Amino acid sequence: MCISFLIGDHIHLASSSMPSFPVLQRSSEEKILYSDRLTLERQKLTMCPIIDGEEHLRLLNFQHNFITRIQNISNLQRLIFLDLYDNQIEEISGLSTLRSLRVLLLGKNRIKKISNLENLKSLDVLDLHGNQITRIENVSHLCDLRVLNLARNLLSHVDNLNGLDSLTELNLRHNQITFVRDVDNLPCLQRLFLSFNNISTFESVCCLADSSSLSDITFDGNPIAQESWYKHTILQNMTQLRQLDMKRVTEEERRMASVVAKKEEEKRRESHKQSLLKEKKRLTINNVARKWDLQQHRIPSIATNQDRNVSDSPSQDPVSAFPEETGSLDSGLTNALQGLSVLDTHLVEVDGDTLSLYGSGALESLDRNWSVQTAGMVTTVSFTFIEFDEIVQVLPKLKIKFPNSLHLKFKETNLVMLQQFNALAQLRRVDQLTIDPQGNPVVNFTLWKYYVLFRLSHFSMQKINGTEVTQNDMIMAERLFGILAHVASSELPQYRLISILGDARKKQFRYLLETKGKKPGLVSEENNDSKKLAGENTNRATLNYTTRDFYNERLEEIKEKKKFCKMYMEDLVKEATEINMKNEALQKLWPQMFIELVRDAVIEIRNKNSYMKLCLQQITDQK
Amino acid sequence: MLSPERLALPDYEYLAQRHVLTYMEDAVCQLLENKEDISQYGIARFFTEYFNSVCQGTHILFREFSFIQATPHNRASFLRAFWRCFRTVGKNGDLLTMREYHCLLQLLCPDFPLELTQKAARIVLMDDAMDCLMSFSDFLFAFQIQFYYSEFLESVAAIYQDLLAGKNPNTVIVPTSSSGQHRQRPTVGEASVLEGVEASLFYQCLENLCDRHKYSCPPPALVKEVLSNVQRLTFYGFLVALSKHHGINQALGALPDKGDLMHDPATDEELERLLAQIPGLVNSATANPEASCLPSRTPPRVGSPWRPLHHARKLDAESDGSTEETDESET
Repeated sequence: MCISFLIGDHIHLASSSMPSFPVLQRSSEEKILYSDRLTLERQKLTMCPIIDGEEHLRLLNFQHNFITRIQNISNLQRLIFLDLYDNQIEEISGLSTLRSLRVLLLGKNRIKKISNLENLKSLDVLDLHGNQITRIENVSHLCDLRVLNLARNLLSHVDNLNGLDSLTELNLRHNQITFVRDVDNLPCLQRLFLSFNNISTFESVCCLADSSSLSDITFDGNPIAQESWYKHTILQNMTQLRQLDMKRVTEEERRMASVVAKKEEEKRRESHKQSLLKEKKRLTINNVARKWDLQQHRIPSIATNQDRNVSDSPSQDPVSAFPEETGSLDSGLTNALQGLSVLDTHLVEVDGDTLSLYGSGALESLDRNWSVQTAGMVTTVSFTFIEFDEIVQVLPKLKIKFPNSLHLKFKETNLVMLQQFNALAQLRRVDQLTIDPQGNPVVNFTLWKYYVLFRLSHFSMQKINGTEVTQNDMIMAERLFGILAHVASSELPQYRLISILGDARKKQFRYLLETKGKKPGLVSEENNDSKKLAGENTNRATLNYTTRDFYNERLEEIKEKKKFCKMYMEDLVKEATEINMKNEALQKLWPQMFIELVRDAVIEIRNKNSYMKLCLQQITDQK
Repeated sequence: MLSPERLALPDYEYLAQRHVLTYMEDAVCQLLENKEDISQYGIARFFTEYFNSVCQGTHILFREFSFIQATPHNRASFLRAFWRCFRTVGKNGDLLTMREYHCLLQLLCPDFPLELTQKAARIVLMDDAMDCLMSFSDFLFAFQIQFYYSEFLESVAAIYQDLLAGKNPNTVIVPTSSSGQHRQRPTVGEASVLEGVEASLFYQCLENLCDRHKYSCPPPALVKEVLSNVQRLTFYGFLVALSKHHGINQALGALPDKGDLMHDPATDEELERLLAQIPGLVNSATANPEASCLPSRTPPRVGSPWRPLHHARKLDAESDGSTEETDESET
């Protein structure tokens, strides 16, 4: 078969001895003029022609053809520049003799794999853009390679870049890259183009930070470029950068980046601290809850040894005591918590307008020196896992230290009797009351709200457990319990009224005197308070609550008195009965005695004369 | 005053029967406890007030349980106080559980024991489903029986158990003869087939108990009445019958008849007055200086004890529509 066609006037392809390949021949003029270069652009070539007698050829251009295989060029061993752009090559091959090749352009072909480049050690520029390459491989021997273009391929990641010691420019635009590695192994890399890939976090390209040579990088068209933190994160992590996305990086931008980065670091530290605190708080509350449950005998106390362990070696416990919780803690947090030396048994927290107290130990915190501003802002006080009886004892302190507390919340405080609500009457004012059903059995009683409204009517409360108090509620409360108030005030004897009211006031003052605030100013406030106490609806002022312990204490104290009284009364009774007996005896004997007296007297004066003599004698004897 | 029966008793026994010493001791004790306050207005006045309050039945308010339980009069006063204070709750129609009634009891007596309330509830609920709701009147009458006659009831319970087990505490065992004064009780098996015990036998035992019991018992005649209506009865059946019996209630004298339970015009009036004050409740009190904070008291009613209510009602019924002159005076 003979294929011949003309390329211009100077080149003539004639038939050859080989059945399929065309043979290329140039006129000698051509050869002399362009001895080292040969251009066969757009020649509709489907295969590489055999090129004879052109051993000096240095440049060969096969652009825009339909060549499917690189062949018949192995004799051109002086070739430096080979351009096969825009062909149909499916595999890199036939290059093994081109040891001098410096520029290899294989863009816009159908190459699926980088291979067979072993001998091209002098390669300076390798252009493989627009192919179907999925991996970077078999390039680590190209230590002179300066430019590598792998744009518009099918790369999903970048690694395996070691050995490219001269690489200055790496073009990876328009791939599907999600992460980049090994770039720090490229000592000379200055320009890296990653536009239009699939990079979304800096962590996936973090090796870039370690590349000191990089000065120019592009990320546009990646998801990361849409992020709010994109620019300053890149700038902060790659301080060596001079251009980002083809724009010069200004000093201003760098400064801003560092400022923003610092702020982010602060925020992160802050939120880390917050989550640490929150975790500590959660553990503390769990601990308090567990103690509370033990106290309430809800969980059988497994050998007291365990309890002792909890108190003696708390540092080991934060994590081990709650094995079910550790799953949620991340390892960093866990380590930090191990460092906490004390696992609290109570928790005090002020959060704006709410003071929260968990565990009975928290009540002591009321003694602290709260700043007037902090204390003044608190409008809600919440008690959890504390016995109500203990809370009652600190109510006077609460009144003084947190004068604006208007909303009280109780959860797991063992409110069992309606009577306990009487204790709240001593406060200055309560607008809202929330009694959580958990741990407060009193809420199960149908009439508890009415009793509260009745006893604390002088507060004119607005809400109970979140529900508004209506006029009808007040009326119902009064209707149900009004008689009780009436009986408690007008039917008690005077002395009992005084003693009950006196008792209540005495108790309040006892605590006020025991606190540190014994300043004279405070004392007068107490007096004012007592006057205000009178302002309370007095017909129910006698309805008090004495905590169980105090009550029993008082009964014990009275026992002595009772014994004394009993003895005293017995003595009196004995005396009285003795006198009675004597009286009765006298009654019986008296008639007889009277008769005898009269008889004696009559006998005596029977003889008038001798009686007169006797009397006179008695008188003279007396002298 | 100087009736022969009174003089027949030796001194201590007389005093004990009337519980005079209890009150005297308590009065002296109260005096000791509040000496500073009381010394201000005189001991004589204190004693007057104390015994007046005993007569009126207000002495048991907010006192400890041991005192309230000490004498029958105290117990009756307590029942009456409870009725008066919480009649409104009953009138409202609320059905409450045993625990809620106990809460109300605790408002008047902080250390009132739960067992008593539980026992009272058992009477109402026939020892079944202790969480059930009870009406005010049911509970109150059952509670009355349980509280006032608690020692008596304990003995009755023991007798009942004995009878159930086949032992008759009344029999006199004559060691020699086999056919003797005692009837052989039916065996245990037989007794359990028939519910409860035989009424007449039960009554015999109770009669004995009443005779030798030093605590208060219901009048035997009325007990006989209760037992005569039935052939056999259970323990709780007996208690329920006791609690519902009008005669026993009247004999006790603390509470009105069931029909009148919600009816108490005097306190209702008081209540209306309180209700009228509601809108002004908050404002009116603030201006009062301390001296007048204690409510002005109605002069204490001297002398007459509280009149049993069924008499009072009769009085009202009679004076309705008639002129004021016919004033029946109490003897």
